[in-house]
Amino acid sequence: MTVLVAYAPAPEGREALTQGIAEAVLRKSDLLIVNVGRGHHGLEPQEMKDIESQLQAAGRGLTVESSVLSDPGDAVIQIAQDRDVDMIVVGLRHRSMVGKLILGSTVQRILLDATCPVLAVRADRLN
Amino acid sequence: MLDSAMAALASLADPSLLLMLLIGVVAGLVMGLIPGLGGTGAVAILLPITFGMEPPQALALLIGALAVVHTSDTVSAVLLGAPGSASASVTMLDGYSMARKGQAARALTLAFLSSMAGGIIGAIGLTLAIPLARPLVLSFASPELFMLTVLGVALAAVLSRGNIIKGISAGLLGLVLGMVGTSPTTAEERFTFGSLFLGDGLSLVAVALGIFGLAEIASRASQRRGQKENITLGGGWGKGIKEWLTHWSQVIRGALIGIWAGVLPGVGATAGTWLAYGQAVATAKDKRKFGKGDPRGIVGPESANNSVEAGDLIPTLLFGIPGGVPSAMLLGMLLTYGIQPGPSIITEHLDLMYLIVWSFAIASILGALFCFLSVKQLAKLTKVPFAVLAAGLVAVMLLGSFQEGGQLGDLWVMIILGVFGWLLKSTGFPRAPFLIGFVLAIPLERYYFLTDSLYNGLDWMARPGVLVFLAILVLPMIWAFIKSIRARRNTNLDDGHRDERPEDDESPLKNSTWSLAAAGIFAAAFAAALIASQSFSPEARLVPQLVSIGGLVFSGILLFIEIRTRLRARTAGAGWTLDAGFAMKTFLWMTAFLALTAGFGYLVAVTVFIPAFLLIVARARLKVAIIYTVALYVVLLALPSLLPIDLPQGWLNTLI
Repeated sequence: MTVLVAYAPAPEGREALTQGIAEAVLRKSDLLIVNVGRGHHGLEPQEMKDIESQLQAAGRGLTVESSVLSDPGDAVIQIAQDRDVDMIVVGLRHRSMVGKLILGSTVQRILLDATCPVLAVRADRLN
Repeated sequence: MLDSAMAALASLADPSLLLMLLIGVVAGLVMGLIPGLGGTGAVAILLPITFGMEPPQALALLIGALAVVHTSDTVSAVLLGAPGSASASVTMLDGYSMARKGQAARALTLAFLSSMAGGIIGAIGLTLAIPLARPLVLSFASPELFMLTVLGVALAAVLSRGNIIKGISAGLLGLVLGMVGTSPTTAEERFTFGSLFLGDGLSLVAVALGIFGLAEIASRASQRRGQKENITLGGGWGKGIKEWLTHWSQVIRGALIGIWAGVLPGVGATAGTWLAYGQAVATAKDKRKFGKGDPRGIVGPESANNSVEAGDLIPTLLFGIPGGVPSAMLLGMLLTYGIQPGPSIITEHLDLMYLIVWSFAIASILGALFCFLSVKQLAKLTKVPFAVLAAGLVAVMLLGSFQEGGQLGDLWVMIILGVFGWLLKSTGFPRAPFLIGFVLAIPLERYYFLTDSLYNGLDWMARPGVLVFLAILVLPMIWAFIKSIRARRNTNLDDGHRDERPEDDESPLKNSTWSLAAAGIFAAAFAAALIASQSFSPEARLVPQLVSIGGLVFSGILLFIEIRTRLRARTAGAGWTLDAGFAMKTFLWMTAFLALTAGFGYLVAVTVFIPAFLLIVARARLKVAIIYTVALYVVLLALPSLLPIDLPQGWLNTLI
């Protein structure tokens, strides 16, 4: 059992991580983090340790994986298919129709192409 | 139109044309195997041989080579995991994984067949483009042609990979360098500093071989060791063919992406190949095997990198703006024959256009065939260490750039530009806009003055064609601007499909004293050009001044950014790295070779330089060095009687 979190250093990415950890603890699953930010900004070692200790309480582990594919959407889906994960967690942000049309949207592609359930979370919830 | 197409095919039955095509194909295949040469190196090295030929023979030779460079560059990528060109590094992802599983034959079959199909589809694209673009091209007058040349340089600068400001600076400096020599309007000499040699302008071959060829050699000459690994080819050639047929839609898609990437100036084989890979992944439902030996990861990209070269030819021949570096050189060659690409090639030289199309298609088929027949020998060739090849390449390149003007000055220019090209490459400046600017400098100025004399004031700006080109000029800049703003605000995390190749170590000296120096050189060069242009007559002054003022602005921005990052950076960037030292040493070797040539003649220089370089730099065995030198010496001795080639004579020879 594995939950995959598409992490990026942004509010949405953090929210996805929080929800992903919660989901992994709930499902008693391993957590798999894929960095989708531009450049190589992953998690700080301290954060990694915190997450690991949270998961260890549930008897589960944390792995970080990367893909040879340069597009983050493709990378997430490739790793999800390869590891046969049970769920992908992604962070959403509001995008205008025109923006999506011209620039495209990675999250949309993950949602449409994923071959497993996807949990999409937003950073700006009401409460 | 069909008549001229058939006539061109019939003319290829001429044994001399067919022979040239064959020689071109074989040369192209060999050069595809040598890392770093690619299409640019192939055209630049073969161009000097064509100087004495008729245009059809010359084109058959060059197109033959250009069409197949990307067929053979796959061999080393698949067998050794060391791509023969940047674009083959895509094939390496899946091809090398297959080879390690003992399926090298399968990967190579897929690659060769896709390359062939890509070339043929590219040639078809070129054929279809002729009637489609014909009415458009024939409606062009000098204002449109002027805008097209501006567009050629600008798009190359904006679309090239890397920083746009760096791209524009490189393009503008290329323009300045292209203006060295006699002004097209007033026939006065510019930037020659009274030198008779510079009066004819810089030699295209010397510039191209310096900026790309020598720079590439210097940055790779430290590779002393060949690949030791032995990868067996395995069997299954027939199965590979059957499998390839099932991927026909990927082949066509890849080829179309390649043509499109080729049409856009500055988007070359490398970017086109990555685009094709990106779309192959994006459209695949099951993405598990990509990077681990998925046939779709080979088929599309391989098809694309051959069709790019055909796509490059579309704007080059029809509009006179080169779609890439190899075609920029082809354009330069056509201009020396007095064949003006654009409207005149369609009306007067349609037979040559179709000759190019046929040559491209036939060469693609021959190239794949030769690759199948000789793959075992090719595989052995890829094991030669680069340093050993470098010795011969330096000798060949120097000889090549001597042919255009027969002057040693060209060779000095070439080495100086080699150092500059290495600096550009290492600090992340795109080199394509530089060469495209160099080629387009004189046409740009000529079309401008033609426009200026035919129209009142800025009336020409209102022509619909000009307005369309202005829009095309502005849109990519706005696009790039929006993207950079989104990147700065970090709102681009969710944006589009990232097809670009992953960050690589192509430019290891970015953000260091080296890049600061590069920005400084740019600013200094533009300032010098601006000062030197003060003494020209008003007509000859206008364009160089505009270009150098623009250049000063952009290089000033660059300099500012570089200084700011140097001040902010806590740790010093890469200083005198091992690779930089090695590159500089290689340039010193080249300089010594040239000095020897100047003193004692080319043949003597070769007999001293080759064994010395092989033994000291490449650390080859004595036996290898002796055989290498003797073989090269014999070939060089026989060459002038086989081809119209002159060997440089030294100062000592003139005394005797």
